[in-house]
Amino acid sequence: MKHPLSLSRRTVLRGLGTAMALPLMEAMVPSAAFGATFDSVSKPSRLSVFYMPNGMRMDNFTPARSGRDYPLSPTLEPLAAMKDKFSVITGLSHNNANALGDPGGAHGRSCAAFLTGAHAKPTEGSDLYCGISMDQVIANQLGKETLFPSLELGLEPSSLLGSCDIGFSCTYTNTISWKSPTQALPVMVNPRDVFERLFGDSAGLDENSRQLQMRRKTSILDFVRQDAIRMARQLGANDQRKMDEYLQSVREVERRIQKLANQETNLDTGNLILPSGIPDTFEDHLQLMVDLQVLAMQTDTTRVCTFMLGRELSNRAYTEIGVPDSHHSLSHHGGNAEKIEKLHKINRYHLKQFAYLLERMDATRDGEGTLLDNTLVFAGASLGEPNKHDCMDLPAIVAGGGLLGNRHIALPQHTPMSNLMLSMIQAMGVESEQFGDSTGTVPELSS
Amino acid sequence: MIELPVNRQKTRPRPGVMPFVLSRLPGRVIGRLTGGIISLSALLLGSSVAFSLPAADTEDASSREEFLDTYCSRCHNDERLSGNWSLSMVNPSDIAKGRDLEAWEKIFRMTSERGMPPPKRPQPSEAELAEFTGWLQSSLDGYSASYPNPGRATLRRLNRAEYSNAVRDLLALDFEFSGQLPADDSGYGFDNIADLLSVSSTLMDRYFSVAGKVSRLAVGLGPVQPVLTVFQVPKGGSILNQGVPSYNERMSPDLPLGSRGGGAFRFYAPHDGDYEISGYLNANTNNEVDRLEENLVKMRVKLTAGAHSIGMSFRKQLVLDESVQTLRNDTDILPLPTQPPRSMTLDFVVDGRPVGSAEVPSYHMSERFAQVNFLRDVLQINVEGPFSVTGAGDTPSRRKIFICQPTTIRTEPACASKILYKLARHAYRRPVTSQDIGPLLDVYGAVREDADFETAIATVIQAILVSPGFLFLAEQDPPDSLPGSRHRINDLEFAARMSLFLWSSLPDEELLTLAEKNKLRRPKVLKRQLKRMLLDSKSDALTHNFAGQWLYLRNLEFHQPDVMAFPDFDVRLRQSMRRESELFFSGIVRRDASVLEFIDANYSFLNERLATHYGLDDIQGTEFRRVEFQPDANRGGLLGHASLLTVTSYGNHTSVVKRGQWILDHLLAAPPPPAPPDVPALVSRQGGKALNAREQMALHREDPACASCHVKMDPLGLSLEKYDAIGAYRLVDAGRPIDVASILPDGTRFEGLDGLQQVLLEQKDQFTRALTEQLLTYALGRGLKAYDRPTVRAIARSTAEDDYRIQGMFLGILTSEPFNFRRTMEE
Repeated sequence: MKHPLSLSRRTVLRGLGTAMALPLMEAMVPSAAFGATFDSVSKPSRLSVFYMPNGMRMDNFTPARSGRDYPLSPTLEPLAAMKDKFSVITGLSHNNANALGDPGGAHGRSCAAFLTGAHAKPTEGSDLYCGISMDQVIANQLGKETLFPSLELGLEPSSLLGSCDIGFSCTYTNTISWKSPTQALPVMVNPRDVFERLFGDSAGLDENSRQLQMRRKTSILDFVRQDAIRMARQLGANDQRKMDEYLQSVREVERRIQKLANQETNLDTGNLILPSGIPDTFEDHLQLMVDLQVLAMQTDTTRVCTFMLGRELSNRAYTEIGVPDSHHSLSHHGGNAEKIEKLHKINRYHLKQFAYLLERMDATRDGEGTLLDNTLVFAGASLGEPNKHDCMDLPAIVAGGGLLGNRHIALPQHTPMSNLMLSMIQAMGVESEQFGDSTGTVPELSS
Repeated sequence: MIELPVNRQKTRPRPGVMPFVLSRLPGRVIGRLTGGIISLSALLLGSSVAFSLPAADTEDASSREEFLDTYCSRCHNDERLSGNWSLSMVNPSDIAKGRDLEAWEKIFRMTSERGMPPPKRPQPSEAELAEFTGWLQSSLDGYSASYPNPGRATLRRLNRAEYSNAVRDLLALDFEFSGQLPADDSGYGFDNIADLLSVSSTLMDRYFSVAGKVSRLAVGLGPVQPVLTVFQVPKGGSILNQGVPSYNERMSPDLPLGSRGGGAFRFYAPHDGDYEISGYLNANTNNEVDRLEENLVKMRVKLTAGAHSIGMSFRKQLVLDESVQTLRNDTDILPLPTQPPRSMTLDFVVDGRPVGSAEVPSYHMSERFAQVNFLRDVLQINVEGPFSVTGAGDTPSRRKIFICQPTTIRTEPACASKILYKLARHAYRRPVTSQDIGPLLDVYGAVREDADFETAIATVIQAILVSPGFLFLAEQDPPDSLPGSRHRINDLEFAARMSLFLWSSLPDEELLTLAEKNKLRRPKVLKRQLKRMLLDSKSDALTHNFAGQWLYLRNLEFHQPDVMAFPDFDVRLRQSMRRESELFFSGIVRRDASVLEFIDANYSFLNERLATHYGLDDIQGTEFRRVEFQPDANRGGLLGHASLLTVTSYGNHTSVVKRGQWILDHLLAAPPPPAPPDVPALVSRQGGKALNAREQMALHREDPACASCHVKMDPLGLSLEKYDAIGAYRLVDAGRPIDVASILPDGTRFEGLDGLQQVLLEQKDQFTRALTEQLLTYALGRGLKAYDRPTVRAIARSTAEDDYRIQGMFLGILTSEPFNFRRTMEE
């Protein structure tokens, strides 16, 4: 089903003033506008990660049987229409998300380990330490070609107090992407900000003004870079590291301006209406963020995107599906049947949103095929059974990327999730022999 | 010395207790049943704990050893390793060498706050405890006095609130934009922790974008094409799909007295010109996103450039226009109007005064009518403009920036220089030289080549706002300082810290001048400045940021009480709860009142909505005013605040544990360790009978693994059970009267809020220390370490000596070691 220009439900966001109407008729903005060509026959050229917080009830997630044409489990039912496009993988674990002698903090560790396979250091302070995440390994290679090496999106701002894991800085549960073991990448939650960041405030300017604006930005960048270098000379070693982060970010901005300057054509954003803020309902917010991600990929603004449906330890209540209790609270159900039932509802609801992502990508043309064909999509959670913070039986769904669908791959128990990460890295054409705590790959993935 | 009444036990356990104790000992010891405690512990000593006598006072040393033997080593030895810790890991003589301070501070805290020995174990006598803790405290304090350690926070970036206040003060720009910056990560309870404030390219992009916008707006170069700004009147959404509620009262201080409904918001007009204000009114449909064209009302007004409050409201009526009949249709009750709509006046309000009005029908029935017919109200206000711009206007920001206007092209560089000198000094929080101005003038020059003077200035301002000199608090180690040594920060660095602490913003000219002249830290000057800064409205930042996080007030915005359980929880209540706590906190700070008022004040700040919620019905009007409580009001102190009671509850039920934990953590600095993951659910029914919270908690005590922590938390939370999940007073839960009698682990009995207040007051020094810790963490922008504890104790002591007045605590922090000194980086 093609998505109409006026996504009528979303244009009702005129309640918020303006709507995010995605006008991208494939003819208007083919990815070839940026001179990008992909060898989309053999490899997926994009990566999309979809993260669900507070674990997954595995008894309702794991299909009864493995192999092809497996029966969909209750939690997976919302994905029925796309069954041919994804595979379910079970038997995976993140050993490094276990305590391994450290105190408390299961969520901090599990969320940090999700895409890194690393054992996070318990700290609330400056010595954050985790590992580089899979999406950043890929972005390091693919990101050279695009304006933004990667995009980190989310729905929940990180502002609830007392709701981060004990002994772990909130950073660990606010993000799944780590550029390096010490540098976590924050998520953006406001669609307007995402849009502005992707398409700049040069949207709507004529060529002359755009060039002018870029020149000015360059002058500013030169100035701040000099200032930072000068300041850094007078700082202690630990402080210099902070200044380095700053300089690195400045260089990122410079690089982007350079790319923009070298581009011959500019994306005609004239028809894109700036979203005015965060939509009222969860579903609208989520779907708008998915639309933005699709837009970013279509325009080749980025090829790597991670999306957190909620921060880890999310306390959101899903009143719209009849669950007024807080998610994290329900995830510690203690065997209570009513709570478990509500938790199942939430899991299904999340997978319904994942279905939207798949459908959107499937409905978007990309070169010869669809965006879904060319994108490796990975959905999962950093815990299995949340009541006992189980990180040794994790849910995983791999979709798109031209891979075989309609399979349940039941791997031997306690196969490192890092093996799957490594397989995905290789599938994206990045040469690598090891990742996180991997002991090998998951060859079944590409068979 | 803590004055908790203690269930006195003999210092030696009775024989009856022995077998229980012995059964936990390693097998080879059990044979020694007949031995006394001393010989038993000597046996243990021999196998595990080794003490070396400190150089002097062997007699005291042996009494300390005896204390540790008698009361600690039974469990904290190498075999049992209770709490994963053994006495063999530390040595009393270490303190003098500055070793294991963390462990000794913990031992001090545990023993002096009666956390250890656990209640069922032998307890020391008052004298023994006093001697031990006295020795320990003076050793720790003594070491700290001889070898002061100020610690060191990493290079500190302005957080979101600080950035936006700094821009507000630097450019005199009353424009709310902090929502356009991402939220910062928090640690140790606050989001201004230097170590966690990093810079990513995402953040850098946002800074560029935001800095560009505010610099242009401030200079007067905002958009000249009409832009639409949309304001949703806060409503809290439809209750049970019944349409969006509206209220028959004044909804904002920016709306006229005698108004009802509507809303107002701050709007920044980029230029003098015409603007169109329009509003969508409600129809009583059951879809709250409906904005129907037939309900749109518009008006054009002239606005000067700058900040305005824009609003729309109706006029309060004694008798409402609508009269409704109620029809029954199966189970639905449908109130329907009995008369055709009448005409009502809708006022357009700018800066608090009506500038025009429109007549609107008193209701609009849609085919999809909702089940409740709400009063006519405004759902959304739009401002579009500017149209026909007449000028850049005379705004506070233009006046602040343009301290000169160049008359000719040749006078421009000099004027630019003057402007930038003043701005940079303020932005960088220090005197600036040609070394600073030179590069800024280069940016100016580059832009001036193809743009006008004002555009060039705006661009340089943007550059300043993304530069490291503005974003970071640079504190230098003196070039010749030895690694690991400490140095006094200079007055300018002190001024920057002080204004971040008290204002979450930049130092103003007065502070900067004093710092430049090195006078700021003279005792009288400092005191005067402290008072001045606290009385300045900029110290509202302390309320929003410190209290907002200490008291979890920021969570109120996101807290969603269950609409089924609490259909009356509306946006007015949510806002009022927060306001009460804010006014309460800022009142204590500004009046320099005793910090103990946080515990047992017999007054608060209420408006009608909140008073109704509290069951007090002689308070009228939307304004807040101080209310003294009668003894039977069941309120008083922070723990009677609906805000705190709500954020420590779930959406539809209270949480004894959350409340108990909050009290332990935030008022007593004695947080319990995290729960084990595999916690079985609370049994809510037993034998067909619904259990109330007390009965459910009793199950905690049955499992020893749970009991050790829960015996401390549960009694505190239980005493507040008469306050429901949104802080209202109730007498019944799960169908039965609530019993709020509680017992502490040491046997103290107390009941309800009053009892809880007494319990906390008895630990008033511990509370004072806890508050000092919170405030000191916030002031330093780093977590506290063992070497900070003597400082905390000293500040708390001096505060207590001054009748517990809060400004004494502030002064104590401002004159403390970590606030005035910094440790040089070790290699």
